[in-house]
Amino acid sequence: MNKKAAKSIRITERSLFYWILRRHRPMQLFLLLFIVISLFFKVFPLEMQKRIINEAIYLKDIELLYLYSALYIGAVTIAGLLKYAINVLQVYLGQKILVEMRQELYTHVLQLPLQFYRKMQPGTVISAMTAELNAIGFFLGGAIAIPVTSILTFVVFIWFMFALNPLLALLSVGIYPVELFVIPYLQKKYNKLNTERVKTTRVMANVVNESISGIHEIHGNASYGLEEKKLTTFIDKLHQLMKKLFLVKYGIKFVNNFFQSLGPFVLFLVGGYMAIHGEFTLGALVAFLSAYEKVYDPWKDLIEYYQSYQDAHIRYTQIMKIFDLDPPHLLLPPGRPPYHLSGNIQCNNVSYIVASGVRLLEDINFEIKEYEQIALVGFSGSGKSTLALLIAQLYDASKGNIRIGGHDVCELAKSEIGSNVAMIAQHPFIFSGTISENLLYGVRAVADKQTMPDRARIHAVIKDVGLKDDILRFGLQAVLSPEECKPFRNKFLRMRQIIQTNLRDEFEHAIEFYDVSKYLYYSSIRDNIVFGDSLSQNYTVPRLPDNPRFIELLQDVKLEKPLITLGFAIASHTINLLADFQDDEFFFRDTPMEMDEFTVYSDLLARLSSPQPKDAESQKLLLILALRFIPQKHSIVSLPSAMEKKILLARHGFQERIVHIEMDHCKMHGTCTPCTKKNRCGDVSGFIPFCPSEYLYTRTLLDNILFGAVKSEQVFDEQLRSLAAQAFSDEQLLDEVLEIGLEFEVGSKGDRLSGGQKQKLAIARAFLKDAPILIMDEATASLDNTSQARIQNLLETDFRGRKTIVAVIHRLDLTPAYDRIIVLKAGRIVEQGTYEELMEQKGDFYELARAES
Amino acid sequence: MNLPEQNPDGGPMDKLTDTQEFMNRLYIFSGAPGGVVKLFAYLAKQETYTKGQLILKGGDPCDRCFLIMSGKVDIHQHYNGRRFHLQLLSSDSINYFGELALLSEFNWFFSARAWTDVTLLTISREAFSKVMERYPEFYQTMVKKIIKLRINRFADQSAYLLDHISPDAWREDPAE
Repeated sequence: MNKKAAKSIRITERSLFYWILRRHRPMQLFLLLFIVISLFFKVFPLEMQKRIINEAIYLKDIELLYLYSALYIGAVTIAGLLKYAINVLQVYLGQKILVEMRQELYTHVLQLPLQFYRKMQPGTVISAMTAELNAIGFFLGGAIAIPVTSILTFVVFIWFMFALNPLLALLSVGIYPVELFVIPYLQKKYNKLNTERVKTTRVMANVVNESISGIHEIHGNASYGLEEKKLTTFIDKLHQLMKKLFLVKYGIKFVNNFFQSLGPFVLFLVGGYMAIHGEFTLGALVAFLSAYEKVYDPWKDLIEYYQSYQDAHIRYTQIMKIFDLDPPHLLLPPGRPPYHLSGNIQCNNVSYIVASGVRLLEDINFEIKEYEQIALVGFSGSGKSTLALLIAQLYDASKGNIRIGGHDVCELAKSEIGSNVAMIAQHPFIFSGTISENLLYGVRAVADKQTMPDRARIHAVIKDVGLKDDILRFGLQAVLSPEECKPFRNKFLRMRQIIQTNLRDEFEHAIEFYDVSKYLYYSSIRDNIVFGDSLSQNYTVPRLPDNPRFIELLQDVKLEKPLITLGFAIASHTINLLADFQDDEFFFRDTPMEMDEFTVYSDLLARLSSPQPKDAESQKLLLILALRFIPQKHSIVSLPSAMEKKILLARHGFQERIVHIEMDHCKMHGTCTPCTKKNRCGDVSGFIPFCPSEYLYTRTLLDNILFGAVKSEQVFDEQLRSLAAQAFSDEQLLDEVLEIGLEFEVGSKGDRLSGGQKQKLAIARAFLKDAPILIMDEATASLDNTSQARIQNLLETDFRGRKTIVAVIHRLDLTPAYDRIIVLKAGRIVEQGTYEELMEQKGDFYELARAES
Repeated sequence: MNLPEQNPDGGPMDKLTDTQEFMNRLYIFSGAPGGVVKLFAYLAKQETYTKGQLILKGGDPCDRCFLIMSGKVDIHQHYNGRRFHLQLLSSDSINYFGELALLSEFNWFFSARAWTDVTLLTISREAFSKVMERYPEFYQTMVKKIIKLRINRFADQSAYLLDHISPDAWREDPAE
């Protein structure tokens, strides 16, 4: 242990200046150079001021005035530009150091032992890693530049003042020592309050974090008041602290300002007196005043620097104090090639004692041979999970040792455990990202030691753990962009063709296929007219009523008025029928009106005197309802038959006049044969018609394969789904859908997955790692019986003779399949043997098994 | 699949009226106020099946009750590997099945197949409970009627079985 620490100072033991003095030295030197150059351009304008008054104005020399003024403005500009460059460099440097500090600290924090996280609230770690480090970042950049600039500037200006008039210079500088006592005194007070503030903010973050994590419980108990009270205590405390903090902070500011004004007072009094008596030129007095003003800037900067240093220092020490622990294990093996461990596991006199002194495991001794499959069973609290965690190096034994392949687990590097042991937890954690990223999480971590699994292997594992159907479903629900779809487009269209031709008879009663020459009763009137989608969303229902060419088309085929009448009928029937049911989404499933539109339409109806309003806004609202209307879905009204023909006419007109496409081929060959299109180039909006050879990028993959509207979910049943799945798999088309499904985003902590799906994903993740040792901590407990049996079967067949398995098991009916059962009770091994032997013994295992049955 | 009903007048006719008229003729809705029946008519779904098509399969979870608008439906059960015919329902006699699905969750204990082309009106359990939440005063009456419907169908089925209590108690599936 601690070998890594011996090489360099542990991150938490480094001082704040360790980072500043050791990082990016060339850039820091460059910065110093800029500062020195800038000094000259700061003093030079003062000299010009003096000369303008004493020489140019006094001698009334215009040319001299021009020259000095030009030099003055030139120097001021250069000084400004240099200041700008120094500021930018400073921030850049600070941020660079901050990035390194944050990365190194995060690596350290992740490696801290699990015990650390048991005690530590996530809120503390989060606020330390984010907000508090940010504040340090602002200090880091100027940590050297600011004091150097300030001190040099200060010295140069004082020198300039002494050169002008030593007596005045001495008087002005005399004020500073007083400040040297007052400011540090106030600052000390400020620091104390600030430390308190950091602590209180952290506790507050923890309280908020806990409430959010336990929000279910809060809602369940309506304990809003309780939680509010918890936080209020800290809010009040913070409020009190902030009040005091600002009192001191502005106190410091006041002292500064006061002394700053004290200077000119002395100068005017003494300098003025001397000027009146001719002992001092007017030009020198002006230059002196400017210098005095300028000398105060670096002084102020120094005081501010001192404050921000104190602030950063407090934050920094507080952060480092939290994480001041050594990672218990090395990340990489120290100066030797990594071990490839055999699956032999030995436990020698292992005890595990927690901080409170409770012994969770006591004197555990056993040996597991390579490829043996072991079940760890016992009453709850018997220590079986702890034992599994010790083998996986997640905890370290307090006494005794565990050896894998002859090597002490404590001495193995994390990377060696990572590539040799695969662990499945009872409640696995799923990271936000795609399914694929989660599947490969374990393999990627040890990728240099293991080659990445290929597509076939990933698919095989998904199938093995019973996740294939779920992933296929995710794939089918994906809406793919043209780029995402491109590699698979032809295969997806082939799947559509299979449904349209080979399986047409079976699917026809469940799906109403898109057919350019037929009216579609399960599609909206909008879909019936537009008969396609535009990638730019140009022809969506809300946009169509505003499209003059579309309205003109409706008028030409005499459809506008009937559609408005239909919209009116829908609105009035819905308002009449559902007036008392406005609060329940359920009742709005069979009408094109949405629940939250109820008031809009009831106001509209109250306004209207006839079903044919004259104003555009009312017409639009009614048209929207009509365009959404699906005859077979919305039972609120029925479609007037005369409208069908007009809608088909409008469809033709839309293709010809608005999107300029021609679908005659579709009509001639029926929907089965892809058609060739003409005039597509005339359409600049990226319109895609419901044409058998077109992929509809605005719809899901399933919509694309079915190429029609589902008549009812009840009819589109499992039987049809498996029929299609079989046909696709016969032509090896399902792999592509799986690939799409693997890109499904699982949401934060895998929230978009069910419990079973998360568990299967974790099992697949461990299987993909293909480590010689597999540790399962009740890994199948949350799965249904079929899935559990499937995994069990896999262990018994595929993994037999390939992996050593240690499985913590709660359900004893699974134990007969294991080579040996180790029974734990109160932290000790009480029995071990085969299922038959233990049942025969009629000991603890027998009792457990009887209790279960 | 049949085409939906259309209105020859060319105006958007109230499809609800038709459904409501059909429902008004049914025992289960007799005596219920027009508003309730209209709401059921609105929430009901029309389903059509062609001759021989399976409507529901024994063992699947039930979710809706079926009212026969036209055609005949064969109720049957598989037992010991054989298919037993239990009842032939039609629009003009006992014109409903799955009535218990309105009240409780269970798996279908029989299967139903279209004996001819049929048009059914279905009411989901969800719709039934939603309406009953709004009209709790009718719930008890509805439950009584549903039980009565069940008894009627059960009596009819028993009579049929008793008549055929021999190996002849099964009929050939029209689809086979």
